Amino acid sequence: MLRLLAPLMLFTFAAEAETAADKALKSMTWDAIVAEARGGEVNWFMWGGADNINQYVSDHIAGILKRDYDITLNRVPITDAADIVNLVLTEKEAGIDAKGAVDLIWINGENFRSMKQADLAFCGYTDLLPNDALVNWENPAVANDFGVPVDECEVPWNTVQFAFAHDSAVTPEPPRDMASLLDWIKANPGRFTYPAPPDFTGSAFLRHVFIHAAGGPDSLIGPFDQTRFDEVATKTWAILNEIEPFLWREGQTYPNTIAQLNELFANGEVAFSFNYDPSQFGLAVQAGTWPESTRSFGLTDGTIGNTNYTLIPFNSPNKAAAMVVQNLLLSGDAQLEKAKTEVWGAAPAIEISRTSPEVKAGFAAIVGHPSVVSAQDLAKAALPELQADWLTAIEAGWKASVGN
Amino acid sequence: MRADRVRLLAGMALALWLVLPLVPLAIWSVAHGWRFPDLLPVAWSFKAWSHAFSASSGVLHGLGQSMLIASVATALAILVGVPAGRALGLYRFRGKQLVLLLLVAPVLVPPIAIAPGLHGVFLQLGLTGGVPGVILAHLIPVIPYMTLVMAAVFGRFDTSHEAQARSLGARPWQVFAHVTLPAILPGLLTGALFAFLVSWSQYLLTLVIGGGRVQTLPLVLYGFATSGRNDLTGAIAILYILPGALVLALTARFLTGRAPGLAP
Repeated sequence: MLRLLAPLMLFTFAAEAETAADKALKSMTWDAIVAEARGGEVNWFMWGGADNINQYVSDHIAGILKRDYDITLNRVPITDAADIVNLVLTEKEAGIDAKGAVDLIWINGENFRSMKQADLAFCGYTDLLPNDALVNWENPAVANDFGVPVDECEVPWNTVQFAFAHDSAVTPEPPRDMASLLDWIKANPGRFTYPAPPDFTGSAFLRHVFIHAAGGPDSLIGPFDQTRFDEVATKTWAILNEIEPFLWREGQTYPNTIAQLNELFANGEVAFSFNYDPSQFGLAVQAGTWPESTRSFGLTDGTIGNTNYTLIPFNSPNKAAAMVVQNLLLSGDAQLEKAKTEVWGAAPAIEISRTSPEVKAGFAAIVGHPSVVSAQDLAKAALPELQADWLTAIEAGWKASVGN
Repeated sequence: MRADRVRLLAGMALALWLVLPLVPLAIWSVAHGWRFPDLLPVAWSFKAWSHAFSASSGVLHGLGQSMLIASVATALAILVGVPAGRALGLYRFRGKQLVLLLLVAPVLVPPIAIAPGLHGVFLQLGLTGGVPGVILAHLIPVIPYMTLVMAAVFGRFDTSHEAQARSLGARPWQVFAHVTLPAILPGLLTGALFAFLVSWSQYLLTLVIGGGRVQTLPLVLYGFATSGRNDLTGAIAILYILPGALVLALTARFLTGRAPGLAP
């Protein structure tokens, strides 16, 4: 009974949560919002593990914000956005409704779902941002974050698509689809492994196997379906248990994080790593962590793609300034800068066709990193992300049936 | 002669055991690509160091924050720990065991167990997201170390020296400066060193109470360590060790018990 009531209660809270100040902000013109934002300070909590991304934000973005808008951007490095969701939740429980510590979060997936469900996100304002016009909200992969409708609660920042990395000097001919990858694993004992969920990337790899076991994504789209899940899960666990003895260390143990898998790959212990953001492969080669002969590829039966976003918490004291930051991040120039191979190599979240001729030319002139498979190539075979309920069910099922 | 040799060998073995784990860190910090089975990196680079010293990495800022917080926490711990240690070391009173238990409790209970509750309390007091709140939170594990060391020091302290000084006409501050302080100084420095290092190495309390806004060096270090950047981790880790090593080197003379007046 309580479970049935819960969404209803959340809805009533949502209606109450909107403060007069938020309403006033949403009724302003963009020029008024920019004026309001002047002198503001934005605390942006974001994953801080890559020095080039940090530099792009701290030097490039923060520099423009200070120069053009008199906004101070504090990049607050974190290791897991889930910690910040908890922080905002604790603030809400303590009744801190207007003076929260967080102004902006780099987020997607389960963390976004948690924030939206618990009414921790500031919503209904994104059409105020002039650069929102560059976003193709008709694209379901942008309008839905892991199957959860965005509903103007966050602003897209990057798009990514899952890809595999291999060392071309060691494995010149890698398998190109899931079936041959599974065969390859059995033919090459000890040369493959994947991080145990709930690691973000390991969990994404599992979903590829799950979709393979289902014979394609079509029957898995939409809300969670227990019967369908049980059917596919049985096959998935059978596949994973079959390959387990052929994994690294005979599958007795799994890496806990993607960083551990990356290290195993760097040291040549395993033949593949993979990532949701293939630009990470180029960064690893530039940092000297991975060999120059690293190459990457997608699967012919498709890899999962998603979009990541920035979100303003409901209790941010600097919403106007945070909106200016989001608008700047969406601009053609800022999206172009981070797409440059030497800066980051991140695929844009905007439609390049809607940008200025200079920006278009800039995108056309980008020469990709040789280790990073191009977004266009990956996009030829793309799979949609499953809804968050599927994701948690797969993670829990893996723990019970495979990783025990 | 033989005993000297054994002592020398033991000393060298100990030094090696302490220093050896640091060698890979130092090499990593100047390595550009160091993969199994290479004995040495394929190329050398000072990229990690120049990034560590650049403004955008936040390493120098973190070093400054850590210094400030650990120094203030240590000073406050001395203010509380010396009188409290004196009371615990010299006097018997009702409930002394309970006081001792309460004092040790924060050291026995892991921080992860108290952090969420503490966060709620600090939020209500408006102490989150800033340096003062973080210092206050650090005092929770820092004060027990300081107080327990001082209690042990005062346990062996003979108050009749103070009485003699007073009977010779010394004022209270003179008694403290010329009699009490020299006698407790080695213990005080040991306690202060512990206090400094305990605060220096706090991760969870800083993260939770600082809400990410207070970026001490352990937070910066952890961010790079978890993302697999061994070169940056190596450089930052060396910077992280330096202050502790420096404080230890400066105070080692006193810690060996050769306090003024006791030296041969």
